[in-house]
Amino acid sequence: MERESECRTAERGGTRSTLCKAPSTWTQYKTLLAKDLKAEFRTKDMVVSMGIYAFLVIVVFGVALSFARPGAEFLEVSGGLLWALVVFTSLLGLNRSFAKETENGCLEGLLLAPLDRGVIFLAKATSNLVFLVLVEVIAVPLYWVFFSSFAAPAETGWLLVAPLVLGSIGIAGIGTMLSTITAATRGKDVMLALLFVPVIFPLLYACVSATTCALVGGDVFADGFLTSLALGAGYDVVMILASWVLYDFVVN
Amino acid sequence: MSSKTLKLPEAGQWPDKLVAPALIAGAVLTTIGFLMAFFYVAPVGGATVNGAELIGDVMVSQKMLLSQKIFYFHMPVAITSFLALGFGCYYAVRFLMTKNRRFDTCSRICLEIALLFVVLTMITGEMWTRFEWGVWWSWEPRLTTYLILMLIVIAYFVLRSSVDEPERRATFAAVVAIIATIDVPICFMITRLIPSSIHPVVLREGGMSPEMGLCVGLCALGMMLVGFALYRARFNQVRLTQRVDALKETLDDER
Repeated sequence: MERESECRTAERGGTRSTLCKAPSTWTQYKTLLAKDLKAEFRTKDMVVSMGIYAFLVIVVFGVALSFARPGAEFLEVSGGLLWALVVFTSLLGLNRSFAKETENGCLEGLLLAPLDRGVIFLAKATSNLVFLVLVEVIAVPLYWVFFSSFAAPAETGWLLVAPLVLGSIGIAGIGTMLSTITAATRGKDVMLALLFVPVIFPLLYACVSATTCALVGGDVFADGFLTSLALGAGYDVVMILASWVLYDFVVN
Repeated sequence: MSSKTLKLPEAGQWPDKLVAPALIAGAVLTTIGFLMAFFYVAPVGGATVNGAELIGDVMVSQKMLLSQKIFYFHMPVAITSFLALGFGCYYAVRFLMTKNRRFDTCSRICLEIALLFVVLTMITGEMWTRFEWGVWWSWEPRLTTYLILMLIVIAYFVLRSSVDEPERRATFAAVVAIIATIDVPICFMITRLIPSSIHPVVLREGGMSPEMGLCVGLCALGMMLVGFALYRARFNQVRLTQRVDALKETLDDER
């Protein structure tokens, strides 16, 4: 109905022609995002498998740390472990985010539509971000429940939300581009890990540093938190811009 | 028929004539640099340890003095690897702009040369780490960023080998080459951004005496010439192979 109302007959120089107003970029973005979210929430397979995987990683950490002594030193490790959890979980999700598109020939349909490739990138990155954040909302409290017996984080501990958001945005942006590349290769899962881990490394470093600063608190927090966040944000901006620009070539 | 022959990948332009002189000049310069490093440049304080000291759980004494000499190869090789990656990125951008397969070949060979020099940097760096800092590996910012640079370059070649379609392979490879090059300025600037790094900032802070600078400069120039000669020779070879393949195809078509 809406689309019909957008079409109007116009008279130009005596000849009658039908002008169809193309939907705005924002509408395109919303439609693509809604498509991804709808497809996911009908089956829920990605979020569920990511959630279970995150739980399994926590169990593996539990085994790995079974002989570690509780103490304040644990806080220096726990930020890193939390990020290992996020990276492994996001790898699983990114692997599947594009497999779905190629399986059903959905990608061809998208490419045939007169869309800017940047919009496809942004919509896909946003949907990946939404899934990642959903899983983090479950996994991070779980992590805290299982490992809070080792050491209590400082008062500034809740600020780890900031690096989590920053890191998730970067992971979703870079990961979307890389998973589009690897979806068309042989051995895609391995290929994605091979590209994703080194490329994400600087961001990961900054986020681990910021998370550790927040968890340890005190002088460490004052020294390093904002610098690490700034470094991470800078890398986010550079990488997402690069991915956005290069996506045009990758998806064709 | 004539239009078909025009489409063949061309090979053997004038820079190929420079390969032999560049290789010889590079070999001579690096040899001079090698000799200078040992006979001309005085041992540097960075390696001098009074008596014996504990660095990274290993007792380091004056015996280790000569290990500093690896610096005269480590830094030039590292610079050359950055340069090769820079050119690889430049050709990758040119490829994405023009879709000309020639630039894809250029970019790929630049990354091959970059991989060679990155591995050389890692080897010389390991020697340095072992004898100067007393450990095999340290998660120090520049080492880490350089390690991931190496991993991305390796991933580049794995990616190339796992895509069959030439057009798509070239595009993906160009994208990854550009992403790899984003790491170069990070790796270069990291010792300036994070001051706790044990990698010295020699260029800006003037940590080198004039003799050291001369020796490093000669070695760097020599390494770059060697890199250029290797690049050009390999380019010629790959290009000729492509030409032969294209010729074979045209012959098959005509039969």
